[in-house]
Amino acid sequence: MTRAIYAFLLRLHPPDFRRRFAAEMLWIFDQAHVSEGALVLLFDLFISALRQWLMRSGVWKAMLALAGAAIQVIAFGVGGIASLRHAALRHPDAEMTPLLSDLMLLTLWSFGIVFVGVFVSASWVTRFNRRRLTPRKRP
Amino acid sequence: MVEDLSPYLPLSAATLHVLLALAGEDRHGYGIMQEVARQSEGQYKLGPGTLYDNLQKMMSQGMVEEAPSPRDNDDPRRRYYRLTRFGRAVLAADVTRLEGVVRRARLDLRPASLRPAERRAK
Repeated sequence: MTRAIYAFLLRLHPPDFRRRFAAEMLWIFDQAHVSEGALVLLFDLFISALRQWLMRSGVWKAMLALAGAAIQVIAFGVGGIASLRHAALRHPDAEMTPLLSDLMLLTLWSFGIVFVGVFVSASWVTRFNRRRLTPRKRP
Repeated sequence: MVEDLSPYLPLSAATLHVLLALAGEDRHGYGIMQEVARQSEGQYKLGPGTLYDNLQKMMSQGMVEEAPSPRDNDDPRRRYYRLTRFGRAVLAADVTRLEGVVRRARLDLRPASLRPAERRAK
């Protein structure tokens, strides 16, 4: 059971890391889970997966970009809606619904564009890291 | 030409222990874990996740590289690692740095009556 969980946690690592080290790490788990404790090894691997994705893969940069973009889009949407409500209070006879729905559509489209942008940049960062992590020859 | 090693220093505890474990001979991952525990008398233990995360980083920095297996009929899942010349230089630089820290700590931890006079005057 713990071996299956360990293998599952290994699958959660970035593909490059997994291809390079997973078989070896599973072999070590087989050798060491009795002496070191299976739970200790599982916790260590869980932390390793987090560290790999957040610190080594560059995904954190994409996540940060996504969060920043989302905050901007939401702030823009909320600001727009607030100004429309304010205008509606001042001019109760005005037709507001189509404009509001346009604004919501614009917000959704913005989200979509930001998401696609982040996905493309995350793929680029991942490919860049793959090249960067190949061992360098030193004199 | 002398390379500036300061960007690599100070080494983290895990990196220092892994480099130390590889300083004597080439080892596979589990061998490194066991050697780290032996050298630290069981006070510092590396899990495989921490070990391979550090190995990956050290290999990308050129401190460690894969080595051929010393035995022909070895388990193919066991891969061996060795220190590069650059890794050995970084390790030596950090050991020198640590010697300075220990020297300073010994001075400061002595009873006040045994410290040099100029230090007491401050």
